[in-house]
Amino acid sequence: MGSIRFEGVGKVFGNARTGFKALDDVSLAIGEKEFVAIVGPSGCGKTTCLRMVAGFEGVSAGKVLVNDRPVVRPGADRAVVFQQFALFPWKTVRQNIEFGLRNKRIGKDQRDHLVAGSLKLMSLESHGDAYPHQLSGGMQQRVAIARAYVLDPDVLLMDEPFGALDAQTRVVMQEELVRLARVNPRTVLFITHAVEEAVYLADRVAIMSRRPGTIKEIIDVKTVRLAERWDGHERIEDVMDLESFVHLRTRIWKSLREEKAEIGH
Amino acid sequence: MRGRKAVVGLCAVGGIIILWFALTSWFGIIPAGRFPTPAQFWVALKQIELRGYAGSTLVDHALHSLRLIVISFLVAVGTGIPLGLLMGWNRRAEALINPVFMLIRPIPPLAWIPLAILWLGLGDAAKVMVIWFAAFVPSVINAHAGVRNIDKSVIEAARMLGTPPLRMAGEVIVPASLPMIFTGLRLSLQASWTTLVAAELVGALVGVGFVLNMAQQDIYPAMILVGMLTVGVLGWATTFVLGLVERRVLSWSLQGRG
Repeated sequence: MGSIRFEGVGKVFGNARTGFKALDDVSLAIGEKEFVAIVGPSGCGKTTCLRMVAGFEGVSAGKVLVNDRPVVRPGADRAVVFQQFALFPWKTVRQNIEFGLRNKRIGKDQRDHLVAGSLKLMSLESHGDAYPHQLSGGMQQRVAIARAYVLDPDVLLMDEPFGALDAQTRVVMQEELVRLARVNPRTVLFITHAVEEAVYLADRVAIMSRRPGTIKEIIDVKTVRLAERWDGHERIEDVMDLESFVHLRTRIWKSLREEKAEIGH
Repeated sequence: MRGRKAVVGLCAVGGIIILWFALTSWFGIIPAGRFPTPAQFWVALKQIELRGYAGSTLVDHALHSLRLIVISFLVAVGTGIPLGLLMGWNRRAEALINPVFMLIRPIPPLAWIPLAILWLGLGDAAKVMVIWFAAFVPSVINAHAGVRNIDKSVIEAARMLGTPPLRMAGEVIVPASLPMIFTGLRLSLQASWTTLVAAELVGALVGVGFVLNMAQQDIYPAMILVGMLTVGVLGWATTFVLGLVERRVLSWSLQGRG
């Protein structure tokens, strides 16, 4: 379980004829347990793609399918991690993580067991009774990731999840996410404008063009990563130093720069 | 920090009392007919508490007014907050209620006094109705704005987590609006006191407003001051209690920390 398919998806905001055309003919298939990152210039509609999978936005043309069924409304089978964390500030860390499980009518004992497990997984054991405002940004995003992961969702949707964090915290969280993906692989749709982040995390990187947004190119990272044994390196900076990594990064950069140059004319 | 603030506050109150002595008793700059001296104030206070004035002792007047305030305030926020929340959450309810609300809102609460007396007589029910009109408005407005200002992504997070409607209201919408709701409660309480005295000026037989009314007819400035300060002290006390509740309820929020 956990495939995502975009089939000729279009999105117009406002009136169908005079409105703002955000997406045009987006097609992308994400397989089970695959990690796909979408990169693109700001305003290209990449977040809209994610929001359509989440069920926050409808499509104007085409189809968005999750497990071969069209998306109708938001639901716990598609957990979202937001850029601004979107935790419930009036609930403790434990209550935040537990909330989705309560909605799924999971019993108290089972809930306590799952929450304890995910607190441990995200190194949050000592913060279970803290309120979000007492935590740093990185810690808050750990809570948000735990809140999504604990639901055992078919797909995980991450909308620039590390965009609001400082550079050092960001690196720690990226390593953390790679570790998490190894322990507990998921279908992930990851939105970012940071090219290095996309190459480091994803199996494939989809590059979007500017207005109206469409998928311009899909780069296979996984083949290179396995062939060049990136996983043998514990630290992100060692991976980023590898020639194969630099090569892929540069290729995506060039593709994105073409976009900006076209706008310049 | 809090201790120092309290000391500064006490000094300011002390300063005003000294100034009062200086301007009236010591140097006689303000003639006694215009503003009472501290000694006259003390005599009036002893009189109303020991022998009674306007039919009752000060404690009885104060308790009666306080009871009216508590009842009216609870009725007003008990109706105003749900209405504001409903208007904030449901577009259709907003479209239906808001125009009526906007039309009624500019009418001064005291303009309801004639109707209130006509409908409910001279008793407490009429006063509750007038205070209700005054205290109701800030509760509605702030609960409405509270829902409207909820961070959109928090609502989306709740929807993504599969939250059923009742839990959405009770565990997401209401708590997220609470900081604004409390702003409304404080304004409602303020409005309650402002209106109470005016409501009691008309057709009351007991209460702080009635004391003020009688003291005015008796041309008794010291008793007027007793009545005014009673309202001040009671108003401060109720606001203080509300503040304690707020700090308790909003302990999770950044504002609640200070």
